[in-house]
Amino acid sequence: MEKIIELENINFSYGNFKAIDNVNIKIGNGIYGLLGPNGAGKTTLMKIILGFLKPSSGDGEILGFNIRENSITMKKKIGYVPEIDCLIPEMDGVTLTSYLGELSGMSKQEAIKRAHEVLYYVGLEESRYRKVDTYSSGMKQRIKLATALVHDPELLFLDEPTSGMDPQARNEMLELINDISSKGAMNVIMSSHILPDIESTCKNVLIMNKGKIISEQQISDLNIKHFNIYEIKLKGDVKIFREKLPDCRIERRDKGVFRIQLPNDFPIYSIFKKAYEANVQIRYFKQSKVTLEDAFVTAIGEANAN
Amino acid sequence: MPIREKGYYKWDGEFKKSYVKWLPIFINGIKSVFKKKKSKLLFSFAAFPFFVFLLAVYISTKPELRMMKDLVKQIQSDAMLFYSFYTFGPLIFSMILLSLFAGADLISGDLKFHSFTLYLSRPLTRFDYIKGKFSIVLFYLLLFSLIPGILLIIAKIIFSGEFSVPLYVFLSALIFPIIISLFLSSFILMVSSLSSNRKFVIIIFFVLYILSNTIAGIFQGVFKNDYFLFFSIEKNIKQFGSLVFNIKPDFDAPTWISAIILLFMTFFFITILTVRIKRAED
Repeated sequence: MEKIIELENINFSYGNFKAIDNVNIKIGNGIYGLLGPNGAGKTTLMKIILGFLKPSSGDGEILGFNIRENSITMKKKIGYVPEIDCLIPEMDGVTLTSYLGELSGMSKQEAIKRAHEVLYYVGLEESRYRKVDTYSSGMKQRIKLATALVHDPELLFLDEPTSGMDPQARNEMLELINDISSKGAMNVIMSSHILPDIESTCKNVLIMNKGKIISEQQISDLNIKHFNIYEIKLKGDVKIFREKLPDCRIERRDKGVFRIQLPNDFPIYSIFKKAYEANVQIRYFKQSKVTLEDAFVTAIGEANAN
Repeated sequence: MPIREKGYYKWDGEFKKSYVKWLPIFINGIKSVFKKKKSKLLFSFAAFPFFVFLLAVYISTKPELRMMKDLVKQIQSDAMLFYSFYTFGPLIFSMILLSLFAGADLISGDLKFHSFTLYLSRPLTRFDYIKGKFSIVLFYLLLFSLIPGILLIIAKIIFSGEFSVPLYVFLSALIFPIIISLFLSSFILMVSSLSSNRKFVIIIFFVLYILSNTIAGIFQGVFKNDYFLFFSIEKNIKQFGSLVFNIKPDFDAPTWISAIILLFMTFFFITILTVRIKRAED
């Protein structure tokens, strides 16, 4: 597998705060999700990969370019959709997109032609001559995607790409991301706090916490891994039942159904034992599908426990 | 059929092999300043000193015309002509206005709309960005100082029918506006990098400029000492002009100190600007 990103022992601090703590990553072709709670270091890691920040120690390569020595050249092959609104308000969609294409090294004619194409692609064909500061938040997300695609990068970073979008626009954005990555046209790294977005687009996921990569796995592996998650329907005093299982994550679902995640060493039959002790009846019991959220919560929980 | 329906497809073009990376910033900046409201009015005002001096140059070659006597007498020497033009009050004032007009929101706008990320995610260094922004202000300042200066040389040659401008005056007429434009560009860009509020930038720039002249004037008046001119931006420019054009200065103070002050301030402004942009990146 070709290595797209390879980082070794990367460290970075803001003053005394260690934002990135000895991160090692090897990422191949495809689409990766980057997950983590606020302050986990996702944006700092992206900034290091994008060459905005120089790591205090460690080294690495992105698309074969050294992050310390070739960070400027590397950017010709990288597209970035930042989370924040960062636009040039006096420009219209075509001007902004072609301007950024020119700054990437495209000729003016090529940049204008390609700007029209990507604006069509992201669904802004009707609004391409409107000033970007009049765009809705969903349209701003699209124009950011268009500016990131104009120079046809090999690697695309998406930082919260569906932020501020209504459900329909969000679905359309996810379709675009799937389209870009599915044909192998581009490698994508997508950071999002909306786990279903990651689940529906990414094949692999990296979970960060406190500046470290704490988990790296394929989404398709989630169901086979060590998660003991069940759906149960209870009758009786659920509060007492909950108290009997202090180490389990229990979520209420619709119609009195609960979703319960057991620790790895917790035998299944103990649920029935605890239910008996709590004087509640288990009227429904089924192994649940594991979600990315389960993996995320488990990884963060384990990392915090360590 | 729109690309959206066809799906994503690769760009089959090629990047330019060699290019000035900041050129698109320069070209776009020039256009956006030109499109601003009241730009034509300001440009007309900034061009006014040139037409005054053009007329004076013409009259100086026609002794039979008895007009603008003081100015015509003043510009009899070539060095004096260019010194008078470049340190002409309305020209300096219009350069201050041009700096504000072209440069006030160049960095502050990017701070306000977080546009640094857009630039720095492209193959540009921080210095490419600064060069691009610098070039926009420099262009407009030189357009209304250096270019008219060159046109005055040409006009003088045409009107007098001979090339009489000494080489050192010719070189000085090129160098002086470049240094002053560099100084003003660094000044306005530094102030622009201090805030995301354009109005605040305009006020601070004006206040610093006016205050420097006022303080120098008050101290000079109270203490009867010309050395206080070094507090004044405008007087330092005039003193520096005396040095470059080898003309007796208006004030009894060494002209080279003004040169050092202007160069030091330019360096200082660029340093602050660079630090501010680095902070904004992080």
